Amino acid sequence: MTLFKAKKPRIGHERVGYLLITPFYLFFLAIILLPGIIAVINSFTNYDLYKTYNFIGLDNYKALLIDPLFKKALLNTLIYSVLYIIPSMSLGLLLALLLSGEGRGSRIFRTGFYMPYIISMVCASTIWLWMFDPAAGFLNQILAAMGFEASTWLKDPALAMTCVVFVSLWKNLGYCMLINLSGIKGIPAYLYEAAEIDGANAFQRFKNITIPMLQPTTFFLFITTCISSFNVFEQVNVLTNGGPMNSTTTIVHQIYIRGFSEFKMGYASAISVVLMLIITLITAINFKYGNQGQDTNIG
Amino acid sequence: MNKIAKKRTKRVLILLFTTLLLLLVLTPFFLMVLTSVKSLPEILSPKFKVFPEKWIFSNYAEAMQRGDWQRYLINSLFITCTTVVLSLIINSLAGYSFARVPFKGRDSLFFLALVGMMVPSQVTMIPVFIVLKNFPFVGGNNLFGAGGTGLINTYAGLILPYIAGPFGVFLCRQFYMNFPASMDDAAKIDGCTRIAAYLRIYLPLSKPILATLAVLKATQTWNDYMWPLIMTNKDSMMTAQVAVVTKFTSEVSIQWQLLMAATVIIILPMFILFLFAQKYFVEGIVTTGMKG
Repeated sequence: MTLFKAKKPRIGHERVGYLLITPFYLFFLAIILLPGIIAVINSFTNYDLYKTYNFIGLDNYKALLIDPLFKKALLNTLIYSVLYIIPSMSLGLLLALLLSGEGRGSRIFRTGFYMPYIISMVCASTIWLWMFDPAAGFLNQILAAMGFEASTWLKDPALAMTCVVFVSLWKNLGYCMLINLSGIKGIPAYLYEAAEIDGANAFQRFKNITIPMLQPTTFFLFITTCISSFNVFEQVNVLTNGGPMNSTTTIVHQIYIRGFSEFKMGYASAISVVLMLIITLITAINFKYGNQGQDTNIG
Repeated sequence: MNKIAKKRTKRVLILLFTTLLLLLVLTPFFLMVLTSVKSLPEILSPKFKVFPEKWIFSNYAEAMQRGDWQRYLINSLFITCTTVVLSLIINSLAGYSFARVPFKGRDSLFFLALVGMMVPSQVTMIPVFIVLKNFPFVGGNNLFGAGGTGLINTYAGLILPYIAGPFGVFLCRQFYMNFPASMDDAAKIDGCTRIAAYLRIYLPLSKPILATLAVLKATQTWNDYMWPLIMTNKDSMMTAQVAVVTKFTSEVSIQWQLLMAATVIIILPMFILFLFAQKYFVEGIVTTGMKG
């Protein structure tokens, strides 16, 4: 960890330092820290955004335990994470390995794979909304042209989540590739040269040099991908709105529905607190096991 | 088979695989553009043709008449530009201070900011909304933040959450920490105050990091959907990302050609930015590992 190696104050204490961080810290306290605390407080109330504001103890959390929709959302989020994390990380690594060359060809390819990452999740979703459309969509037209039976994609409860995962995968593949690439660039070339002289073949070099040397990167990517998977919302809201039959509703989607459709701010805050605990747990694992003395440039 | 031939086959295979995958990844973009100039009957007809029978560019004009698109685009542009300018100032000042200026409690304050960076915006969306709605003395609110709508449906409400994020501070601090300590000493000997040193020495050298931060912030703000979705319910305050969803996807039979045309229009600024600033895009992602 290079984070905390800031040079120790050499000559005492200069107050101008506070002045320089004040603009940032004011916003930071008001928009990030204070809301964090407010979320915890509100989770013990039945706040409805207008008049009602009573402390109701742990009632929200008790209600959460028996809320079938919340359980469904939790399960869906887990399914999304598992379906998303493994392919995105392995495909990202594969692409990074294939495209790590310095030539112009590799560069053009990398740019191409990176394209979907710079567009918004909304645009990615609207494009795929059409691709997946049962009547007019490209996928069904291709299936029909090849003589296969049409599918209902996002309208099929058994398939909808897979489709949502696919959109995320398409959009974020470039990101996974890029992070892996920067990790691969950090592996010193002499390791490979030495292994080659010792007669290691390509697979052995990959297994005994690339994989272990890339471990901090992989772990970092795993953590960020985990966190973003647990926060999945935009693509769900645009593609399926949680449906069909709640088969794609996620934790954040539930926060949004409870808070802004049903105005149960207290209940939505309780879900937020649960989500915050999950994220904290993931981050704690990161600090405990990530970057074990091995320095990477990221994270 | 000799070694060279083997190597060549391997390279050809790799090229074939990556080309195929790349085509697969880029196909939706081509189809999006082609669909945006087709007629609706042609899109709905069971006989699929890649290229449109007639290129109907007026779809774009028609899409822009669904609601006040001039306004939505200006909203998005204004929010993005303001966010970028304000974050550059605020974050580079704080980053410089955390990296170079010694003061009591500096490392604890920075650690707190770092903890804040771990909190995803989805977790705080409800309380941030409540804080901004109950902001005192604005939007008809009294001292205790009651009575009015606060910062809902205002530009301030849309911009504040974007400039509060600590990751720009983190980025700038990492950058300023790489300068040699002798620079501060030289500045001090020459009678420079800290602020003067920042303005005359550090700021002129910050172009790469500020460009990276600007590109990241611009993409993040322009592309964001969740926050404007929550903070606006007035048509005139919608951003382009929210408008494309509410204006085109809510009806029973979606006008796909218009939806695709609007999508092309709001993707275009990001593509242009990417074209000119690809280096900074990549640098930003790699150095911070942050999801833009």
